[in-house]
Amino acid sequence: MNDTAQWIVLMGFVVSFSLFFLAVILNQSTVVGQTTAEAVSEFPKEDIRGVRTALLQSNMYWASVNDQTNIRLDIENISLTRQNAVIRIYAPISVNDTYWLYPIHYNNGVTEYNERWKFP
Amino acid sequence: MVNAECGQLFTIEGIAAALIMLATVFIVVNTTSVYTPGDTHVNDMQLEVIGTDALKMLNTPVSMSGDGKSPLVRMIEFNDADAFNKSFSNILNNRTGADPDTIQFSADISYKSNCGATKNGVNTTHFTHSERARPKGGLFGGEHAVHVSQWIILDDYNTTTFKNVFPEQCGSNSAKRAALVEVYLWRD
Repeated sequence: MNDTAQWIVLMGFVVSFSLFFLAVILNQSTVVGQTTAEAVSEFPKEDIRGVRTALLQSNMYWASVNDQTNIRLDIENISLTRQNAVIRIYAPISVNDTYWLYPIHYNNGVTEYNERWKFP
Repeated sequence: MVNAECGQLFTIEGIAAALIMLATVFIVVNTTSVYTPGDTHVNDMQLEVIGTDALKMLNTPVSMSGDGKSPLVRMIEFNDADAFNKSFSNILNNRTGADPDTIQFSADISYKSNCGATKNGVNTTHFTHSERARPKGGLFGGEHAVHVSQWIILDDYNTTTFKNVFPEQCGSNSAKRAALVEVYLWRD
């Protein structure tokens, strides 16, 4: 029985397996961060903030109920058409004499968001 | 032929080891600069942030006294596309150093019409665009564009110029309306 070069064969196996392992790691590195970055890009942060800002502006500056209703309906319509998002802005709820709660509902099929903004 | 053949296997092993080492160096050097799909999203996110900030700056009232209208609202009420073009381009493209950036844009306004065949529907009209954008707005198709938007509240009848702000609009009574300023941004 010829049992020379056993170490060389064994080392050959070790090296080839480690190369395979490195290739797997390299393969994974090409997709790292994709889901994270997509999640950040898809999240409609600015859309939600924009609706809140517009709503609070309409309540702060222009007290006319007619104007507020117009603005609310415009926002609901335009966001459905242009931003693919269902927005409902409900009538403010009175907390006490000073503060009101402004409920906003936002849903674009991926992100659902509800808030009650406390404001004078 | 030389008769000493005892070193052949060692030579082959040496060559194999050299190749393995070269391959390892190649892999190590390369992994630091792999351009992953996630990286393209990073660029898009940065462009979105720049655009959103620029629009938000324009939509910030200069003073809280008076009617509290922002420069953006005034430009749209007066249909002043040139002023918007100039200030928006400046905010987008200014950077430290001599050369400005080359961000291009195309801006539209979406609003609810109150007149004619499209009554109560949502219309989008082109507002203005940068130098190297498609002449009548929209995109050629080759741009890698991102979309940013900003809500504004405006009077739909301008009492200074006596004109309706939007094309599909009747009457001359002013009301507060919400509209959406939408901008496509890309680097050219």
